[in-house]
Amino acid sequence: MLNEEKIVQELCAKFNFLENQIKITRPRRIFLETTEEHFAQVFDFCIMNLNFKHLCAITGFDDCDKLSVMYHLSGKDGILLNLKVSVPKDKPVLKTVMSYFLCAEIYERELVDLLGFKIEGLPVGNRYPLTDDWPKDEFPLRKDWKSSDHMKA
Amino acid sequence: MGLAKKIMTWARIKSPWIIHFNTGACNACDIEIIAALTPRYDLERFGVQLKGTPRHADVLVCSGPVTRQIEDRLIRIYEQMPEPKFVVAVGTCACSGGVFQGCYNIKGGINAVIPVSAFIPGCPASPKAIIDGVVKLLTSLEEKETVKKDA
Repeated sequence: MLNEEKIVQELCAKFNFLENQIKITRPRRIFLETTEEHFAQVFDFCIMNLNFKHLCAITGFDDCDKLSVMYHLSGKDGILLNLKVSVPKDKPVLKTVMSYFLCAEIYERELVDLLGFKIEGLPVGNRYPLTDDWPKDEFPLRKDWKSSDHMKA
Repeated sequence: MGLAKKIMTWARIKSPWIIHFNTGACNACDIEIIAALTPRYDLERFGVQLKGTPRHADVLVCSGPVTRQIEDRLIRIYEQMPEPKFVVAVGTCACSGGVFQGCYNIKGGINAVIPVSAFIPGCPASPKAIIDGVVKLLTSLEEKETVKKDA
């Protein structure tokens, strides 16, 4: 049996609500989607029990009615686990994953600046990657964002 | 014009010192600038020398569109250069912003922030185009000097 199938079985055995949410799109690529409430325990299980010890990147999505994030985790034998979680657009609050991966800070700051997420537990710091004088309520990677007057100056 | 100033102008035209600054380029123009400076195309035969600090430079060679983050730094570099100073924008992005114009993190071309003396278009600008641009800039300086002398 392939390693990725073993991982999927383990995940399904632990969290039976995930059964229809896991896909192996091609060898060594696992995609799974969780709800906001289950995210913390699934994420913890992947890292602590399934040994996905490396955070490759975090991708942010604007899915029109909601905002989503995808955590790309890599484990042994080059297997990538892509864990997606969605939050409502009017209340895009997520918890930081800095307790697992310190390097997540820079990705999470990008989510805050470019897509307007609110990350709980993110330490106070400078804006990144936008400039300090960027307006507070504008998020350039959102689909409904239009460049405003200050852009033309 | 005093003798000292005459010598300085002559020296500036015969051997302009440049500083290269990347304002947000993809590196293609930077590679071409280096190619123009190094022996294959050899800008140094016109006395052009690359310097490590803007305080020693007469010409600021910029590549890439000006990003919002680099804007203040570009102005700071420009202000550190002694007068008279010239700016050369290398590549389409530096000339106008190129494909990045209107992007949320882009201010525009170099001339959106500081005055530019010479534009060298191209994506990337070829070393030959860069040499042509630099020579044209130097020729225009020479002409200005002759006009001054005649007057």
